Amino acid sequence: MAKRLVTAGQDRIAWLVIFLGLVLLLLPHRLRLAATQPFQTALLAPLRLGAAVNQTLHDSRAENERLSLLAARLSVDNARLESASQTAGPEPTVGLVLTRAPVISRDLATFERWLVISRGTLHGVRPGDPVITPDGVCGKVIACGPHQSLVQTLLAPESRIAVLDLRSRVPALARADRAGRLVLDYAPKESDFGTGDTVVTAGLGTVFPKGLRLGEVIAVPDRPEALFKPVTIRPFADISRIEQVFVICLPEAGALDTGSVWLGNTVRPEVSIPDQPAGQ
Amino acid sequence: MRTLVAFLLLYLLFLVQASVAPWWPDLVLLGLIAVSLHETRITSALAGAFAGLCLDMTNPAFTGTSLFALAVTGYGVASLRTLFYRARWATLLFVLMALALKWTALALFGPGLPDLAPLLVSSALTMALAPLVELGLTRLLYPGWQPA
Repeated sequence: MAKRLVTAGQDRIAWLVIFLGLVLLLLPHRLRLAATQPFQTALLAPLRLGAAVNQTLHDSRAENERLSLLAARLSVDNARLESASQTAGPEPTVGLVLTRAPVISRDLATFERWLVISRGTLHGVRPGDPVITPDGVCGKVIACGPHQSLVQTLLAPESRIAVLDLRSRVPALARADRAGRLVLDYAPKESDFGTGDTVVTAGLGTVFPKGLRLGEVIAVPDRPEALFKPVTIRPFADISRIEQVFVICLPEAGALDTGSVWLGNTVRPEVSIPDQPAGQ
Repeated sequence: MRTLVAFLLLYLLFLVQASVAPWWPDLVLLGLIAVSLHETRITSALAGAFAGLCLDMTNPAFTGTSLFALAVTGYGVASLRTLFYRARWATLLFVLMALALKWTALALFGPGLPDLAPLLVSSALTMALAPLVELGLTRLLYPGWQPA
């Protein structure tokens, strides 16, 4: 008997809930909106929070992209001005273009010797163009297709870069060792390299303009028997984790006759690129 | 405690449902039917009302439509399960009836039916997922339970 009463009572409550739903359906729209406002705020709070977090992430990503480009531009400008400070006259502004390029593949053995970027000749990239990140030099373009290019990083065994100690102005030649760092060849034994010194490109050779940040001296061991000073450098750019780079698209040879000393050493290689097939 | 978890689960299903495209299966409806197959009539009606209220909040101008439809669904499934529910395949019958009730309520009292393609795809996916969801939720919330 008691169980039946409880069941009947529960049934009445259930019907009341259904009846309330019907009453809500009969209310005018404005009244419904007003009545449901607190529920809406409470029940949709997680969705609103998720949307806000998503928007913040999107904004942060866009801001990060903008700041990366700005940092790369400042890095190049810094190199140009630093070079100008070593010469007598002001350095003219040259028509450098920084092309943002996502990394779409890399060598699968070490992840840090070769990169494939999704920019090619159609975007103004040419073999020999320097490749940088906001942190420092990354490498150079060695082959181009219409839409993709192959980048040889500083850590490739074949890579050699003329560098300069920013403090003591001592030049040397940097090559990769097997530990993902750079070592200097032909640094004179009495040369002044100190731990913590910043190393920049020397502007020798035909690829890198002078003054691009490259790395930091982390070890200068004392080896009396060595012919040259063994200097170890940690690159500023973390090559194994790069997701996008900036290609410095150098001006054509004719455009360099503006008196720019900074880009005096850079020579675009003579390459002929065949015409694109129809439809591309 | 188990009832509370069931309500929480329905709310989570609503959060998923509110973030996906209209052709997705009706996860809230599936969850409600699975819960109503094991709970009392009042709990099922309250769970339906709660799930419906959540769904109504995404379109407050038509508040009451989903609340009414899902409360009736919960109560109906809890009442009729002893008559119809003799095996797991019978869940499809409940889902079919619930879908009919939902679309009718939306057409009569709500913002109207969606386009034919999302309506058909969503209904078909809901039907297809029903046995799986019922089995999964039964094992999750009501372990050891077997159909009568």
